[in-house]
Amino acid sequence: MSGIDEIASAIETGKIKLISDLVLEAVSSGDDPMEILNRGMIGAMRIIGDRFSRGEAFVPEMLISAKTMKKGVDTLKPFLSKGATSANGQVIVGTVSGDVHDIGKNLVAMMIESAGFEVIDLGIDVSAEQFMQAIQDNENVRIVALSTLLTTTMPAMRAIVAQINQLSCRNRFHIMVGGSPITEEFARQIGADGYAPDAASAVLLAQSFE
Amino acid sequence: MIIIGEKLNGFIKSTGEAIACRNEAYLKDLIMRQKQAGADYLDLCVADGEHEADTLNWLVSLAESVCDLPVCLDSPNPETIAAVLPKCRRAGIINSVSLEAGKIETLFPLLAQSDWSIIALLCSNAGVPEHAEGRLELFERILEAAARFGIDESRLLIDPVLHSLSTEESSFLTFAACARAIRKRSPKVHIVSGLSNISFGLPARAMVNRAFLVLAMQAGMDGAILNPLDRDLMGLLYAARALLGEDEYCMDYISAYREDRFGC
Repeated sequence: MSGIDEIASAIETGKIKLISDLVLEAVSSGDDPMEILNRGMIGAMRIIGDRFSRGEAFVPEMLISAKTMKKGVDTLKPFLSKGATSANGQVIVGTVSGDVHDIGKNLVAMMIESAGFEVIDLGIDVSAEQFMQAIQDNENVRIVALSTLLTTTMPAMRAIVAQINQLSCRNRFHIMVGGSPITEEFARQIGADGYAPDAASAVLLAQSFE
Repeated sequence: MIIIGEKLNGFIKSTGEAIACRNEAYLKDLIMRQKQAGADYLDLCVADGEHEADTLNWLVSLAESVCDLPVCLDSPNPETIAAVLPKCRRAGIINSVSLEAGKIETLFPLLAQSDWSIIALLCSNAGVPEHAEGRLELFERILEAAARFGIDESRLLIDPVLHSLSTEESSFLTFAACARAIRKRSPKVHIVSGLSNISFGLPARAMVNRAFLVLAMQAGMDGAILNPLDRDLMGLLYAARALLGEDEYCMDYISAYREDRFGC
């Protein structure tokens, strides 16, 4: 098995204690750091994400894989050019105002970060003003991702998306929404660009906007 | 043990469809089966963002037309509760209040003027505190507010909040620490939880839910929002009560068995 394949396998199976040594070994044996990142790490996260979407892998397995990747990226960073680990741009995430649930939002943030995006997490109970401020403060924003678990805050999601849609810089990013009561149809109705039913699908959706 | 039947919840796909198309026969059957299985209250959650109060009113009337069980009005929106509660025939449980802005101010006056009880979540606009200490501070604020409105502690059902085990390994330990501290602080309040949050993201979720019920009962939980149609779960519930010394001569356990609530 090549060094990169070993790294991919360690991430898929969550071997957090081995990952740093594997990365250092691969680098010193001449593997390209970008290929380690893309094929070894991001590729492995895509595989675990697919298994999760098919119901073959479970949340704790996805978590440990993401943590393993994070540790591997930290080890790899000195060998990469600046910004390489967030080359896909910035993603703003947040749970909409009136809703304080964060588990789903956190899973999405973690998986999207593992796919090579820089995540700006605004937290819970986030207002339209806070989303818009973050969009204006970060010029590399490619995606704004809104979450809600409650049916009663779906109107808040609608209102926030409507306000974001008024921004003059609207054409430089996509809006995606998710959360247990949200549907593809609702996403379309409120003027979002996409909907994802779970954290792994959110990554595929984010990548499809490229 | 206060058993709140969870099946009439619009987030459950089949129930949601039955509510959407006003399938009375299907819902009446769910109501009767939960009553027969030993539910003390019927949780009613319509998960309808647009016409929540109207739909909930309709569901309350339907439940009252088939049995005399009190309802547990389940909505995160205090205005919905305030609109539906006065139309209910019997005093039940409000599900739920928390320290999120405006909720206590809208809901506690409804309790002060009635015999309703209320589930209180230990969270605020800042979310759920990670550690037990932070949640217990919120519990103190709930007690203060109840005293201010003249609501007896026995009408409070405290939900210490249960995060999913798959994303937080110490989730149950934090819950249990809260339950023990709450029980020590106030012998009169009830401690409740739903069972299904704990197992999010794990396979064979019913196993985790059942283990949680038993462990939480030992930590002092004396109410649960659960599926009473799960016979194994109900058997564990009655057995755990007896083991904890809360069932003299195991009479409730034996009666529930005779009523065919569990067993082969």
